[in-house]
Amino acid sequence: MPTLKINGQSFFSDSPSDTPLLWVIREELRLTGTRFGCGLGLCGSCTVHLNGQAVRSCMVKVGEVGDAVITTIEGLDPAGSHPVQKAWIDLQVPQCGYCQSGQIMQAAALLAANPEPTDRQIVEGMNGNLCRCATYPRIVGAVRKAATLMKEIRNG
Amino acid sequence: MAKTAEQGVTRREFLVRSTVLAGGAFLSIGVGPRLPGGKEAEAAMAVTGYTPSIWFTMTPDGTTTMHIVKAEMGQHIGTAFAQIIADELEVPWDKVRLDTPLESVENFGVYGLAYTVNSGSVTTEFDRISRAGALGRIALTEAGCKLLGAKLANCHADQGRVIDQASGRSIGYGEILQKVKLERKFSYPDDFRQVKLKQRSQYRLIGKSLPALDIPMKTNGQAKYGMDVFLPGMAYGSLVPPRTRYASKVRSIDDSDARKIPGFLKAVKIDDSMGKCTGWVVALAETFPAAVKAAKALRIEADPGPYGELSLSDIMEEFSSIADQPEKSAAWVLEGDVDKAIPGADRTVSAEYTTDMVCHATMEPFNCVVQHGSDDSWHVHIGTQSTSFARMTLTAYLSKVLGRKPEDLKVFVHQYILGGGFGGKQDYDDILAAAYCVKELGRPVKLIQTRESQFATSFPRTPTFHRLKAGIRGDRLDAMNHDIVCGWMGPRFAVGKQFDNGTDWLQLDSVDGKKADIDQWSIGGSDHWYHLPNHRVRAWNSDRTTWAVQASALRTVSNSYNMFVVESFIDECAHAAGRDPLEFRLAMLNGKGGNRGIPNSGYAPGTGSDYYMDQLWISLPWPQDKTWIPYESGTVGGALRLANCLRVAAGKAGWGARSLPPNTALGLAVSSAEERQSPTWVAGVAEVAVDPATGRYRVNKLTIAMDMGIAINPDNVRAQIMGSALWGTSQVMSERLTYRNGAIEQTNFHEYLPIRQVDVPEFDIELIESGRHPVGVGEPASTVVAPAVANAIFNAVGARVRHMPITPQAVLEAMKGRKA
Repeated sequence: MPTLKINGQSFFSDSPSDTPLLWVIREELRLTGTRFGCGLGLCGSCTVHLNGQAVRSCMVKVGEVGDAVITTIEGLDPAGSHPVQKAWIDLQVPQCGYCQSGQIMQAAALLAANPEPTDRQIVEGMNGNLCRCATYPRIVGAVRKAATLMKEIRNG
Repeated sequence: MAKTAEQGVTRREFLVRSTVLAGGAFLSIGVGPRLPGGKEAEAAMAVTGYTPSIWFTMTPDGTTTMHIVKAEMGQHIGTAFAQIIADELEVPWDKVRLDTPLESVENFGVYGLAYTVNSGSVTTEFDRISRAGALGRIALTEAGCKLLGAKLANCHADQGRVIDQASGRSIGYGEILQKVKLERKFSYPDDFRQVKLKQRSQYRLIGKSLPALDIPMKTNGQAKYGMDVFLPGMAYGSLVPPRTRYASKVRSIDDSDARKIPGFLKAVKIDDSMGKCTGWVVALAETFPAAVKAAKALRIEADPGPYGELSLSDIMEEFSSIADQPEKSAAWVLEGDVDKAIPGADRTVSAEYTTDMVCHATMEPFNCVVQHGSDDSWHVHIGTQSTSFARMTLTAYLSKVLGRKPEDLKVFVHQYILGGGFGGKQDYDDILAAAYCVKELGRPVKLIQTRESQFATSFPRTPTFHRLKAGIRGDRLDAMNHDIVCGWMGPRFAVGKQFDNGTDWLQLDSVDGKKADIDQWSIGGSDHWYHLPNHRVRAWNSDRTTWAVQASALRTVSNSYNMFVVESFIDECAHAAGRDPLEFRLAMLNGKGGNRGIPNSGYAPGTGSDYYMDQLWISLPWPQDKTWIPYESGTVGGALRLANCLRVAAGKAGWGARSLPPNTALGLAVSSAEERQSPTWVAGVAEVAVDPATGRYRVNKLTIAMDMGIAINPDNVRAQIMGSALWGTSQVMSERLTYRNGAIEQTNFHEYLPIRQVDVPEFDIELIESGRHPVGVGEPASTVVAPAVANAIFNAVGARVRHMPITPQAVLEAMKGRKA
């Protein structure tokens, strides 16, 4: 039976090992900020971090997670004020908001790997995340803004 | 009313009574109510609250909670309404909160129809919520003045305080509420009508780009959608995609494999006797993954029903033959005599246009939680565009299924945030199915559609067929005939809804004197604002299509195809007349005749759909004598406002002036979506680059100019314009739903392709604040993109594509057919 490390806490799950991590997170552990959109890794709504990497939690089986450290939107920052989240509010990105947890997790992983992305890199890095409200231009702007905020933090 | 106030009635009772009185007596303001919602809520409200109206509640700490009956689905309507009310009420913005009323029979009597569609929320509510806020301010000012011992003439309200200018003393709203019990009556409609509203120059919150109140929770995972509800003892349901989109019949269910899945509870064949959920089987299990597995393991035999061999190609063939039968048409626009004018014209232009099906594909698939309480009440937890229709439809269904009288059923609908709506979340099959499962299982059920079952049971925009003919005299358009065949959605929408006038509520009469209905929601947009001596629009319903595909309303409804057709065809006419498409349009957008606009919303039935819209949209029980104060119609200024938008957009885009690379061109279009009687004026210019070798094209830039009268929150207006314009880009470039042997073919986002980051163009957006009545902004910009792109493709490479979406292959084919 897997024990999951999520957002700095350990959770016990008795779901079968082939259960998509998404449903363990959402419905069993009730961290509902991670959203279900497609179930095939096509939309990005369910994006979480696995050892800091953005993954589609609908495509990860809970039995495969092992010791990996999982971060969901609820754990990205204890106060919800990760630079990406701040930028998202600053630029008033969300409309319906449903895909935005996934967008934010994708953006945070993107910036962790590439702190100063070009616009092209942002567009390509975020292309796997669908937004039906098409908040896309503001997403790009907010990733840019978050990069600036993170740089300011790095430079003290 | 004073009597009931003394009796200390609950807010609900108070509000119900005020509703009754709204028909011609008084709308009482300022009883000391107890909030409904059980003992806990009552304890919390031990101090006297102040509920001046159904729109907001102010508590003695000065906190003002706005009761938002409109669905929050991305448009930030709660923030907009709060800005409007708080401005007139003079409450500080940091004291503002939002909540959503519970939908029930009782609250329906208080709040009216909770229904969020047609970009109508601001248009229809602005005036009355402004007045509600103003009356609240007056009552508080009077009470505060008395407490200050001041003269009323010296007192005014300012940011939550009543100030005596003579003494300089002031008192806060909260303090007033703690000290006195307000009992102020305003007559209806006289006081309502006479209340002095702020001038635009006096606005403090309206027109400010305040951060939306629902955004922070959408960045930290705290926002609650219907799927985020958990109830004790809840089971999960997963729908098996039915054999056909509509009217298949389940013959047998073999669950022998499903029973091997741990947690599987049972397979439920949903009662479809109301014509909803046809052919539905839901697998129930202890967890959702188990329910999904079980749904896949069920072996179901189904009779495909009447549409089992029907495909899109059959539908399109039928459309074309229907359009050959003018005697069966209904007329929507009839001006002059096209039958005389077209044959007598110098030149004629003829074309046929078609559009494919598309669907809403909201990121949040349909889902709901239904519970049958120990007190025999039914509770639905869902994010829906109409909690009222959800309640009515479930009541009708339960009445049928349980064999009980509708009035004996207690149904409550709890509203949550919607993960996208776009017109799609105004069908309730999932609620019915979940409720039926609850009945069969005896436990609460959470039904979640998988993306696959969601596509299989989506509610698409109808496919459409258009035949157009125009007559040109000299260099101007003299006559235009537009024939439209599609599946009309109105009759389908009426099922399960409780209206006194039956199913006729969505149908208008044919304007040519024939005894025929016409469905404005399927035809609107064809009634454009160009001044033409001769103009006719005829329409035919393909009832089979309506039911077979379950035709529905999709963002801007019929405008989403009619504007593509009208604005592409107007361009064709401009070229045939040898004129610049901009000049050609501006000459006809002269505001003459019926295109001058109508001064207010209070005009007679039959002359415009405002009448119907007001009845549909109101969040106030509508006085049957129609004594509500008419607000200024969005049509004021008419086509001249549209012409202004077009000049602005064309000018900003550099129409006719810019040097562009080869195979790159601008195209323009105008639109007055949503309906002719509730227009938002918008013009768009698309810059498109076409690769002549492959037919692939890229939208480089969209320039959009919109006149929405007053922008309540300009930053959000920009966000809405951008999002809806990209919706339009997605529709013209890549979205396509197909139908074969009775079923929808696409199953997930590898087959159905909404726009992604890489296809996003640059934007230039101009808000034109004409100072007129504010109107909706969440949809209209989506309609100008498809025709502007089509016209730009023509201008770039000479390819006229008369089908939406525009595929690269269609561009290539049209290039081959172009004139040398």
